[in-house]
Amino acid sequence: MTEPYAVPVPRGYRVGAWEVREPIATGAFGSVYEARRTEDAGDPGGGEGAEGTTATRELPGTAALKFLPTGTGTPRQLTHLHELIEREVELLRRLSRPRLIRMYDTLTVDDPERPALDGATVLVLEKAERSLSALLAASPRPAAGPALLAQICEGLAQLHRAGWVHGDLKPANVLLMKDGSARLADFNMAAELEGTHAYTPAFSTPDYTPPELLWSEIGERGRRIRPSADVWAFGVLAHLVLTASFPLPGGTPTARRDAAAAYARGTDELRLSPELPDAWRQILQDCLTRTHADRITTETLLRRVEAAAGTGRSPRPLRLARRTAVLSAVTATVAVAALGYGVSLWSDTGGKADAGAAGKGGGKVSAASSAQNVTSAGYGATELRTDKGIPVKYRKLIVDSAHNCAQPEVTPALIAAMLKAESNFDPDLSDPANGEYGIARWTPTILRWWVRSDGVPAEETPRPPLTPELSIPAVSRYLCGIEPLLKSHLPGDRRVLLAASYRTSYKKVNAANGAPPKARAYAARVAHYLKEYTPPGKK
Amino acid sequence: MYSIIVVPPPTTEAEPARTRRQLAPGERLTFGRSERDNDLIVPHDGVSRRAGAISAQGAFWTLSNLCAHQTYVVENPEGAGEHIKVGPGRLDAPVPFEFSRIVLPAAGDLLAIDVWAPRHDYLRAEGDLDGDTTAPAFSVDRSKRYFAVLAALCEPRLRGAPHAPLPTVDQVVDRLRPNWPAASRTSVQWNIDYLAVKLRLKPGPQSAEPGARLNGKKESLVSLALRFDLVREDDLSVLTAVAPRRPR
Repeated sequence: MTEPYAVPVPRGYRVGAWEVREPIATGAFGSVYEARRTEDAGDPGGGEGAEGTTATRELPGTAALKFLPTGTGTPRQLTHLHELIEREVELLRRLSRPRLIRMYDTLTVDDPERPALDGATVLVLEKAERSLSALLAASPRPAAGPALLAQICEGLAQLHRAGWVHGDLKPANVLLMKDGSARLADFNMAAELEGTHAYTPAFSTPDYTPPELLWSEIGERGRRIRPSADVWAFGVLAHLVLTASFPLPGGTPTARRDAAAAYARGTDELRLSPELPDAWRQILQDCLTRTHADRITTETLLRRVEAAAGTGRSPRPLRLARRTAVLSAVTATVAVAALGYGVSLWSDTGGKADAGAAGKGGGKVSAASSAQNVTSAGYGATELRTDKGIPVKYRKLIVDSAHNCAQPEVTPALIAAMLKAESNFDPDLSDPANGEYGIARWTPTILRWWVRSDGVPAEETPRPPLTPELSIPAVSRYLCGIEPLLKSHLPGDRRVLLAASYRTSYKKVNAANGAPPKARAYAARVAHYLKEYTPPGKK
Repeated sequence: MYSIIVVPPPTTEAEPARTRRQLAPGERLTFGRSERDNDLIVPHDGVSRRAGAISAQGAFWTLSNLCAHQTYVVENPEGAGEHIKVGPGRLDAPVPFEFSRIVLPAAGDLLAIDVWAPRHDYLRAEGDLDGDTTAPAFSVDRSKRYFAVLAALCEPRLRGAPHAPLPTVDQVVDRLRPNWPAASRTSVQWNIDYLAVKLRLKPGPQSAEPGARLNGKKESLVSLALRFDLVREDDLSVLTAVAPRRPR
């Protein structure tokens, strides 16, 4: 290895209870060393003491120490580094899952003698044998490939269930343990979901970046990312593991990036390697879709990957995430979920790529609407009463839109109550005096910011009439987006406050410490219908 | 997902109608006088009916000269006279500049089509060429004027006043004039607008209000640049270094 180490640490260097041994690897941000636990732990002498956060409990004999140059004297004192490290530490502190690498401790080097190391953050991590990228370099198309993929997918599912997105899944970030099992590592880009998406720093590995994030817009909080970005990365990684080649053609990452862009624009088709077994081909095609909305969910992916790999089903958490639980209550889960997504895609008023996709998928739309007719009368009955006059034709839209948001406050009953209070479910409402249109009384210039499911504002302001297919998912996205912005200890039912924020703004609700006077009558109506539409026994 | 932006030549009667065209890799834009066969109509009698075509190829673009007898010149406006010539009938000539101006000779007039390639990549100090490395999504050319503008905007905060007010456009002009004598309000503002394109700044809701727009854009640029270390304290040397600027 000729690469210079991001953080050089001499052999035999002591940090807390650990003595540094061989270097393992270096990345763009930090370096990893093997370390041995010494018996005389906690010796503060020699100017090489360290402040730790946990006592030496159940520590193994060897560990991997990840040094991250956070000190003030380090030559590359970087603002963004702190943020990246905080993400990793935050995730590992809060999540301990079987398929995620384990963190035992975090330490800070206190060694003024060595300015390059002083102040460095050290993560004490479970020691792995090697990375998946090292395995692939030594033996392409490993025989254990399918089983490893099942484990990687399981790790991804564990992460997504806990509400996090990895953001940088690639072979170098998959570690293989001594027993041959795989664990996910490197959570510098990981982010906790806020509603349907998370914000990650604007870093990525081009070969594993989904097309919608290539050259995507970046706000001050970073770039918006969804779990579906990890699903795309998994598709690329699986293709590499099974066929020793990338799914998109090209000899360089830049050429493959351009191929991904051409594929996403619909000017080129996906040509997966003929080496792929049929079962995997189907799975990879559903991971590597042109748009994020067409990609399969992580839970479905896990089920299919485990079936294709022939491994047993991994243990599922007893209480599934709300969204998954509801979906499995509906018959023909997979089909309905996929079709539901189809509908939300057509409602996008997007760029040319969307228009092209819509033309191609014409058959899908009609299939979706017929499926809707069959299931809609009792659709989502556990969360939305069927006997209170909510028009049947909007049930699926309301229920699915609410489920696309992970905030527990955004429920089908809330959206239905708001539609009732806004327009009495009138899809043709037109109020030019106040500039509000459609079933949700959207103001078109505001709707523009919420109309696209990928979080990007539409290129043009939507023009009335505003269809329910456009209006209702946008209501859910809006509520989902502003939920974290409402102050956390406001008095009253948070769902009603969300509705009041929709009518006015979250700033006004925060300022008024509740529904502003102007919106009180509206809030009372929403509260009334919310109670009426919620099935007994539900909150 | 566009990689190339084409700014049509100004037309005397409708100056604000210089609508930018965005091209994604693989897309092609033809230009010329004829209203039927062209994506971009250049209404000048001295221009061929089918004058040429611009094709986006990844992060760069190519120019086809469809004219039978005239040579087109593609200038790099920041390149101190750097230019390439594309002779009559030459197809798909690659253009390496981030900023380019295609100069069309048209019966005594010179018409300029500006083409920007904001996705050009530049090596970062700590970067390497391995595609497997996690890389930041931005890449700026430290020798370009937009970088000097960005540095001037970030300067007060980099000099240790984290909440310092941002310099006004006029202050930026004054700050840059020693190294860039031709700096003006318009050219600085142009560079700020270009930076917003280059850094793919998400247009904020405030862009609907014309008054707040400019300030919001500068704020967003500075906060993004500082957050991702696009400009560091040692980069402020671009503001003091004596011309000529060091080539890279």
